[in-house]
Amino acid sequence: MSAAVALPTVRSFSTRSVPVGVVISFAVVVFVLAWSFLPGFFTSHDPAVGVPADKFQGPSSAHWFGTDHLGRDLFARVVHGSSSSVTSALIAVLIAVVVGGLIGLVAGFVGGWADTVLSRLVDVLLAIPEFLLAVIVVSALGFETINVAIATGVSAVGVFARVMRSEVLKTRRAVFVEASYLQGGARWHILTRHVLPNASRSVFTLAVLQFGFAILIIAGLAFLGYGDPPPASDWGLLVSVGKNYPLAPWLVYAPALVMIATVLSVNRISRWLRKTD
Amino acid sequence: MAPQDRLTGELLRVEGLTVSYGDHQVVTDVGFSLRRGESLALIGESGSGKSTIARSVLRLLPRGVGRATGTVEFEGQEILSLSERRFRPLRGRRIGFVPQDPGNSLNPVRTIGVQAQEAAALIGEKGPEVVLETFDQVGLDNPRRVYDSYPHQLSGGMLQRVLIGLTVLPRPALIVADEPTSALDVTIQKRILDLLSQLRQDLNISLLLITHDLAIAAERADSLVVLKDGVVQEAGSTASVFSAPSSEYARKLHADVPALNPDRYQHLRDSDRPVGEPPRIEVRGVSKTFTVDGKVLTAVDDVSFSVAPGTTHALVGESGSGKTTTIRLLLGLEEPDSGSITVAGEEVTRRSHASLRSVRRHLQLVYQNPFTSLDPLWTVKRLVGESLDRYRVGDRDERVREALDSVGLSQDLLSRRPTALSGGQRQRVALARALVLRPDVIVLDEPTSALDVSVQAGIVEVMLTLQASLGLTYVFVSHDLALVRQLAHTVSVMRQGRIVESGPVAAVLDNPQEPYTRALVDSIPAGADPVAGGVS
Amino acid sequence: MKYALRRVLQAVVVVLLAYVFTFVVISVLPGDPVTNTLRNPQNGFSEEEIQRIVAYYGLDRPVHEQLWQSLSRFVVGDLGVSLRSGLPVSRLISEVLSSTLVLAASALGVALVLAFAIGFGTQYLPKRYGQGLLRAFPSLFLSVPNFVIGLLLINVFAFQLGLFRVIDSEGGLATLFAAIALGIPVSARIAEVLVANLDHESAEEYASVARSRGLGRTGLLLRHLLKPSSLPVVTVVALAVGELLGGAVITEQIFGRTGIGSLVERSVTTQDLPVLQAVVTLAAIVFVGVNLIADLVYPLLDPRVRLGESRSRPKVEVAA
Repeated sequence: MSAAVALPTVRSFSTRSVPVGVVISFAVVVFVLAWSFLPGFFTSHDPAVGVPADKFQGPSSAHWFGTDHLGRDLFARVVHGSSSSVTSALIAVLIAVVVGGLIGLVAGFVGGWADTVLSRLVDVLLAIPEFLLAVIVVSALGFETINVAIATGVSAVGVFARVMRSEVLKTRRAVFVEASYLQGGARWHILTRHVLPNASRSVFTLAVLQFGFAILIIAGLAFLGYGDPPPASDWGLLVSVGKNYPLAPWLVYAPALVMIATVLSVNRISRWLRKTD
Repeated sequence: MAPQDRLTGELLRVEGLTVSYGDHQVVTDVGFSLRRGESLALIGESGSGKSTIARSVLRLLPRGVGRATGTVEFEGQEILSLSERRFRPLRGRRIGFVPQDPGNSLNPVRTIGVQAQEAAALIGEKGPEVVLETFDQVGLDNPRRVYDSYPHQLSGGMLQRVLIGLTVLPRPALIVADEPTSALDVTIQKRILDLLSQLRQDLNISLLLITHDLAIAAERADSLVVLKDGVVQEAGSTASVFSAPSSEYARKLHADVPALNPDRYQHLRDSDRPVGEPPRIEVRGVSKTFTVDGKVLTAVDDVSFSVAPGTTHALVGESGSGKTTTIRLLLGLEEPDSGSITVAGEEVTRRSHASLRSVRRHLQLVYQNPFTSLDPLWTVKRLVGESLDRYRVGDRDERVREALDSVGLSQDLLSRRPTALSGGQRQRVALARALVLRPDVIVLDEPTSALDVSVQAGIVEVMLTLQASLGLTYVFVSHDLALVRQLAHTVSVMRQGRIVESGPVAAVLDNPQEPYTRALVDSIPAGADPVAGGVS
Repeated sequence: MKYALRRVLQAVVVVLLAYVFTFVVISVLPGDPVTNTLRNPQNGFSEEEIQRIVAYYGLDRPVHEQLWQSLSRFVVGDLGVSLRSGLPVSRLISEVLSSTLVLAASALGVALVLAFAIGFGTQYLPKRYGQGLLRAFPSLFLSVPNFVIGLLLINVFAFQLGLFRVIDSEGGLATLFAAIALGIPVSARIAEVLVANLDHESAEEYASVARSRGLGRTGLLLRHLLKPSSLPVVTVVALAVGELLGGAVITEQIFGRTGIGSLVERSVTTQDLPVLQAVVTLAAIVFVGVNLIADLVYPLLDPRVRLGESRSRPKVEVAA
């Protein structure tokens, strides 16, 4: 009995350096976030107006990602597109965390009747495939980028609710929560000081991961043309338009690679957070 | 090889063994040797590197992480430098392994039989006969049923018998046993150790025993190696190391083992206390049943005891005896079906949550496992001070500091989180948390069972000093009779929800009336020297 | 048995609620389907047909009455009539269902093969060479949008190597590549769980003990690690069914296939609500059904779990 429990001691607490991959990932994410908030700072080209004479130019020092069928600078379009793609993903995650988290918290902490009702609702949200759910929500709200963000958020509510509920239940049963109760802790004190902070840790890690997935889902919806129409330049839309010009493959690959790099970095960070928990 | 040589020659020789995990060196320049038919114990607390040495001999260090250098010679052959392909035939056939926790040591989703066949295959046996025969030999009642079972369908003691059976089946020359009984109940511990000793004699197998328990080691091994932080502190024959330890560490280890020093805390325990006051705790005819899967289980059955102020009452029993449920009833965490409980004259049972709160102020609990009982996100200061805020007690910082002082923790730890503390420090924090409201009664649920003996000794000392100075009343739950013998005044022995025997600790443990109590007392390892054992 | 019955009942309730939920979501639609779709001259409905459809759906009555009417039809298996073509929705779906089922099943096959290849690889390749790369695959697969995978496959294998044509898209090779595009993200989820579990199980004490009985790497993997590591895959696969159905919308579009996915896409564009409603409900039925089966079958696979207890979730939680 003795040795088995005593093993995990101070060992893991030593000052561990952050892996190189995670540092690079952070750099990529910071860069992309900077693009989305200050696009004008990174490119002087106009994303919507092109020089027809310069159309279909390959990547060069003048046009890092080349130009499209109207002679617009693709790098400028990717940078400006990130502002709607990344912001949409942030909104989506926010909706999922707040709504899903609240549902999970109430279901897990109040229990009983509230749990039964909310859990069935969550079952329904989880039963409809995420992407299909996003598609019907966006088609109900209308084809706009903001609606795409809302739809993506709604489609992830179920996952967050389920994780939050199970974390709350797990923490509620923790010995340290009973200990706090014995120290005279009231229900509200236990909820806000013990249960919520501990449960939030996994929800936060999930939120980071979901940010990556949200970028992919939003790109998918934009690819199908459910977001703002051109000249908007959501990453998914850029790929969708670019695929019509097989002779200018950079029109697909440049935005695709930016997207992959971003999501890959987010996933790497999320994995690192999960490990250091 | 001449038969004579086979029987007496040197079997295992370890020299200059150094093992590191990454940059972290856990074993440094360890050497010892073991002759055929003899047994040797590696003794040490957690982090001493004893298990790592065992795994180096078996070459089972985590793949790609652990690195061992030095010499390990088995039957005259250097095995550390052998290729995996050349070494593998030795595993199982010549060197067997008995692991620590039988519950984790068999594949949970395959039957025992499937796994037993792997051992039988080592000596070219195919059918189940040889396995069933071995199961019978290790004292398993219904070999066929065991053969067809999955691990989770058997008890820990049965699983350890299975594992020992599988280990001896191919008739190895050496068995490495890594804490073979520490996950088992005390009465079963003794039977398993007896089984190992007997098989060892019958089959002339050498034993390399890894243990944290000096008493067990002394009882079961011909020679001892005492380790600390991966370095040998002392080595030699059991008689010499045990009865006349020469190193400081071995002496301390010896002094910290409860079974070997039953009267160590006598001066603290028998200090003056008020006489003639009414009992601080009175439990009268309490019963509690639970309904699980439609079946009614009686967890606590008509339990009564009382505790005088300033004394320690021990609840002793093996797992499932109802001792944990009893203290949960005492704390008002569960409602009894019948009976009554009073603490300091106030009724605990059948009270509203609010009025219970005022009783709890004088009634605190220290949990068994300090790794789960402290919120990992809170600092020591907040953890200890939590109840002061809840009960709106002033001069919070002053009292938190005072509480930390009294359990022997430095103020530097105030801003640390539990993850940055050792197990012993955590349990002291838990004790400080219990003390900070200045309660009369503290319930301690196996507070040291997750800790090393030297850490345990420190905490027990703190507990008893506090009791002597503050007049605290303790209810102490334990499965360790030797520890109870050291610190308690009165004891109740529990089995299957009932108290089978109770009374003053010396009377009950030195002269047990019930067969069950006697079995418990007999299972305390006595060490090598019966005089030092004292208890039995 | 009682438990099984309760689970089936629960599943039925979830499906009905999913139907209601979808109906509510769709009814928030700002546009009026009658004027948008029925009176659109392109669709060529006669005034008589329009009257018949309006009466059929009760489109001139309040929403809750429409819901009640629609639900009572759904309960007896009537999925309604397409607003666009006037054909029964069940016929539209059954025409394209087999194509999507073939695609999804092949994608699942691709995903399992890939995932187990990665999982086995990590156990055999040396830590320094190859293993790190192999371990990066699931993460990479999860980071690439499935339409990019599809476009890449088409560009390389259809346009440049000419192995298949996107126009004639129901052929074997075309289906295989579509299945690869759809299956890769799913394989990543399975592989993540499988690799994490293989690592977890091989660090368990019983693995050491089995090795101490003389088992080699392959013996250990096949006799001991494979089964407990694969059990959580059942859960992941059941959850991935939804991803296969959702992903089909995009995959079928870029590979020019007709299936449930392209039916959804067309219905979204034409606001053909009964079809959308039916497809989403169908997807929910499939998802709930598969997970129900997984729940009921799991205790037969894992001796530790009895019917009614929760399935063992993947040891390493991967966001569903």
